Amino acid sequence: MARPEDIPQPTRDVVLNLPCPAFDTTPFVAGPPLSQRRIAIVTSAALIVRGDKPFAFGSGEARFIPADTAPGDLLLSHVSINFDRAGWQRDINVVYPIDRLRDLAALGEIGGVADTHYTVMGSTDPAAMDAAVDQIVGQLKQERIDSVLLTPV
Amino acid sequence: MLGRPVCEPSDPAFQLRVLRMALALLERTDGPVILEDFPDDPPGWLDNPDWTAPVTDPSTAFAAELRAILPLWETAQARFGRTSVGLSFQAPSAWPDFAAAILAGELQVVPQLDTTALSVRFLCDDIKALYGEAAQAVGPAPSAKQVDTWFWRHTAAGALLQALRRTAMDSENNALKTVGGRFFVPTPWVA
Repeated sequence: MARPEDIPQPTRDVVLNLPCPAFDTTPFVAGPPLSQRRIAIVTSAALIVRGDKPFAFGSGEARFIPADTAPGDLLLSHVSINFDRAGWQRDINVVYPIDRLRDLAALGEIGGVADTHYTVMGSTDPAAMDAAVDQIVGQLKQERIDSVLLTPV
Repeated sequence: MLGRPVCEPSDPAFQLRVLRMALALLERTDGPVILEDFPDDPPGWLDNPDWTAPVTDPSTAFAAELRAILPLWETAQARFGRTSVGLSFQAPSAWPDFAAAILAGELQVVPQLDTTALSVRFLCDDIKALYGEAAQAVGPAPSAKQVDTWFWRHTAAGALLQALRRTAMDSENNALKTVGGRFFVPTPWVA
């Protein structure tokens, strides 16, 4: 687990001082059992497919990752350099746990794994992501995905 | 530690524990706000006394050091089945000359990356990635801190990135100045 005391300065102060949004309502619904849910990954790692341009700093865009993208074709273009990349270099699953979701699906613990996964640039103002979120939600609905696993990087 | 939300690389059992605990939140009904901490730190966060750093000397020329590191990088690719190098759109053989040109004040641009600032920024990312993979090519896994300590204190590549940072920050190219100050060398390792 990432703890504030393990985060180097000045990133620690930035994280601790981020404004926490307030919402007018707090809708909450119970969904189907996990064993019936199809799950997509949404990661803020700014993953790109090899050969594509890296995400720009502050970009609010989203990119879609087909589930069958070869691990060797995924690169991490997150803007921040103040976090560990050694884990990613060994194993994409520390950021993009596609193999583990497949394991859980094979065991019947989840209902399935999405055909498409999603990535955005971390350290970006969420207000810049409205259009990207609409794109993601549209694709989630089209693929009848009812849950997402967020992996913040 | 930031950068590995599913925790331990090459440890499917640990990763499954993380995912099961996270996904179990989906079946909770005591929301709307549910916060849970994962209780355990992955073992790979701690320094590994059995890891041995590749032999390097920061006073060596970068090109020579890179040539010597390449076989380890190739071993790492065979071990992990992939490489995370590729953001710079340049082969490693082109890196020394490109870096030398930047240090000499030439505003070189990789066409796919549009600007000098991004060309150098992603060159730095690729150099770090190649060395990070080489450091993990054989034997037991090092901690992230061990990899960083070796790279930033004991390699010519680390010294090169420090020099590129200084050159960028002295540049009259504002984009290069900004990117160099923020993205070439992690804050704790700025020399």
